[in-house]
Amino acid sequence: MIRKRDRSKAQIQFDERYRGALANDPLSDGLLDFQRSWSNIRDAQLVDLEGILGRDTDELRHNLAEMKDRVIADLHLHLARFRESAEAAGAIVVEVATAAEANSYIARLCHQRDVRTVVKGKSMVTEEIDLNEHLAGEGIQAIETDLGEWLLQLDDDRPSHVVMPAIHLRRHEVAAVLQRELGRYFDPDDIPAMVYSARTELREKFLTAGIGITGANALIASTGSVLLVTNEGNGELSASLPPVHVVVAGIEKLVPTVADAIDQVRLLARSATGQPISTYTSFFTGPASSSDMPREMHIVLVDNGRRAMAADSAFASALRCIKCGACANVCPAYQVVGGHAFGHVYTGPIGLVNTAFHHGIEFSEGPQSLCLSCGACETVCPVEIPLPAQILQIRRRAVTELGVPRSQRIALRLFASPRFVDIASRFLAYAMIPFRRGNFISPPFIKFAPARIRRFTAWRTPPVIHTRPARSRAELRALDPPISQTRATGRRVTLFLQCISDRLAPEVAVATADLLRAAGCEVVVPDKQHCCGLPAIDGGDDDNARRMARHTLEVLGTTTDDLGDIVTPAPSCAIAMLHDYERLFEGDPIWTARARALQGRVYDLTEYLSGPARLPNGSLARGDGSPVAIDRFCQGANTLGRGDTIDQLVRGLTGTQIVPLAEAEVCCGFGGSTSLAAPELSQGILERKLANVRASGARVLLTDNPGCLLHLRGGADATRLPVQVQHVAEYLAARLPDRSRSPRGSGSL
Amino acid sequence: MTALDELRTRATDSASIVHELTSWQDVASLALEVAEGARIAIAPSLASAEPGLVAALRGHLLEPSSEAPFYSIADVAVGIVRGVLAVAETGSVLIAQHEPADRAVSMLSKTAIQVVDRSRVVDSLDEVAAWLAANAEEVSLATLVTGPSRTADIERSLTIGVQGPADLHLVVLG
Repeated sequence: MIRKRDRSKAQIQFDERYRGALANDPLSDGLLDFQRSWSNIRDAQLVDLEGILGRDTDELRHNLAEMKDRVIADLHLHLARFRESAEAAGAIVVEVATAAEANSYIARLCHQRDVRTVVKGKSMVTEEIDLNEHLAGEGIQAIETDLGEWLLQLDDDRPSHVVMPAIHLRRHEVAAVLQRELGRYFDPDDIPAMVYSARTELREKFLTAGIGITGANALIASTGSVLLVTNEGNGELSASLPPVHVVVAGIEKLVPTVADAIDQVRLLARSATGQPISTYTSFFTGPASSSDMPREMHIVLVDNGRRAMAADSAFASALRCIKCGACANVCPAYQVVGGHAFGHVYTGPIGLVNTAFHHGIEFSEGPQSLCLSCGACETVCPVEIPLPAQILQIRRRAVTELGVPRSQRIALRLFASPRFVDIASRFLAYAMIPFRRGNFISPPFIKFAPARIRRFTAWRTPPVIHTRPARSRAELRALDPPISQTRATGRRVTLFLQCISDRLAPEVAVATADLLRAAGCEVVVPDKQHCCGLPAIDGGDDDNARRMARHTLEVLGTTTDDLGDIVTPAPSCAIAMLHDYERLFEGDPIWTARARALQGRVYDLTEYLSGPARLPNGSLARGDGSPVAIDRFCQGANTLGRGDTIDQLVRGLTGTQIVPLAEAEVCCGFGGSTSLAAPELSQGILERKLANVRASGARVLLTDNPGCLLHLRGGADATRLPVQVQHVAEYLAARLPDRSRSPRGSGSL
Repeated sequence: MTALDELRTRATDSASIVHELTSWQDVASLALEVAEGARIAIAPSLASAEPGLVAALRGHLLEPSSEAPFYSIADVAVGIVRGVLAVAETGSVLIAQHEPADRAVSMLSKTAIQVVDRSRVVDSLDEVAAWLAANAEEVSLATLVTGPSRTADIERSLTIGVQGPADLHLVVLG
């Protein structure tokens, strides 16, 4: 019962944060600028580091990840070593299991030393345990000294980013806060004056505070040193001016040696702020006592869910996190809604994972809808945390522990039934006929829809469901002659239509079959195929995911001994089959074997046409040759590491000029269930994509994922962007000899 | 590029001002120049090691009060500290203090002058790691300082000079 109440409370809190973020336009504008400049600076810094060390960045990231893994695998040993060295240096080391124990230790220490004011360096773990509030309850004032944290404290606000806590505040808001709290005028455009006020206001606090509290960036086991980095110098002052220094740190901060800490330093600032190194990189080893000035150092090592993470094979690697914030800096959802909507305390992608351990899974359930599974976070993480996989795992846990949210339960169950989907979609297709305008549902119909429907349709014209799905079309099984010999000539290819292509964009499925036949393949289209299960996988609903995966495996894998290669026009589905199926059947040897057997056979169309079925260069050089822009499907780029494969394919086969599209790998905002669960977020991300498309000047935009295709096409239509959005299959198939006469499949009822 | 060249480039990139000076007398002249008549503090450990520097600055020095060493140093115009290593890789100086009062001079002054022997210019952070590993037992406070204090917490606008020194002079001596 308590769980249930917490769950609905957490959901309400999340909804409020989400709505609040959407109402704040300057927030997303500021974060867009930030993400763009961060990516450029960070990438340049990593290139610079490669030059300095003569080693590949990926190797450095990998080494750092391995080092952290060794520590996490043996926390006990490293803790014991750290304790021994730190105590030898004169520090007092305390291990606490919970937030409450950490808070009461620190409060007790304040009382014992008769301290009423403490100064604090920026520390996420003290946010995690809510230390300030606890101390306030004990009559102790904790003063934040990092500029951003100080401003937030003055404004009774919370950090929205692990490195730049006040990134959500605009200059005029900062000026207003300072004016209110300090009682004098601040010019919003005079940022140095506002910054300097922190120096003048806080100097006295540093000099009079009885205790200074800081976090730690690393705890060095071999020397007992605490590594702390800051740019302002506030952490150093908090640590060294008051007579007592209290370090509060999660146990995952342990590293074996100083050299390991230096490896972390090399990647930390580059990943965090794009600096080669932070201004102050400090090593505190024991209290800095002198003959006339006795001093104390207390190191409070916090568990608060970390040992449970370390013992959990799926999440132990999340403890590698060095709190650089890079994952948020590339997260398209973070750009739109900012950190507050995401986070209970920890924000961005890592917050979707570790919140469940530090604060409870009910607090991480709501924000899960913000993740589009685009995979960008994993590509920049300096310690290679498999965040997208862990986020999906958290969703599965939420489903196991809390159940599928009622709103999704029925939909996912019904969608898992091929027969239901077939009947329902045919019925809806006919019902839509009066409202149809080409491939869209006509705007007048949408315009008069109630607001709760317009929330989904106003910014993205919805596609119609075709009365004749691709599977029922004769041209899908036409017998066109090959146009050239390829490595795939004579191969039997099973076409996995994919649910969206089948019913919402049948022209894509037909074009795919055309291209495969042109490359000499014998195309087989099993009638009984249904969805691969991706929507359920995304929702963490493994029961329905397994239902659909089993069905798909039956259809694709066991009809005859060998159905040859399997090709789908949807890389998202290929990724589900290649990356998720085996996990779904963990512990079930028969289905695991089937899932594995599938892996060697599945290709998405772009990959197949670029590999076995590669037609000769120039063989499709006909038709309209005006320049095109290419959207690079985010998961293809981030999860499969695919670079400009589509660009090369299109350029090679057709000779078409490809214009650069900024942020081509950044998600378009479709994100499967996200566009249903958080349509405003999906819209915000789509706007970023369409602005880039507009700026490219291209009149044709190509993508190779059907979900993204309909999302982009609907968005272009709703915003009257004069750009034709096509699947790469349609674009290429329209250039086949003798087929260029009509765009087959499209437009016909 | 020599280590010194690299150091100069990297330190300048992080907004330090790099000098190559030959004697402590030159350091004293630099301090007087940047102090413009205001008070100068010398880190106690440096003052006891280099009486010549103290003599050259006599009359301009702020004497830390032993009662309240930090209070008396807070916001002194110029602070002079000795660095144990200068690192070409990042343009940083490793300041290792035995006394909290050293730290106060290094961190509370408005302008800091860091003096490092030419022989202590090293290529990379690896040497810093080795030095720290070897000396951790004796050194309770060690900080790699890379340029003046800074923040970008308000609208990501880079502003130099928050809690630590707003100007940083890196002197390679000898």
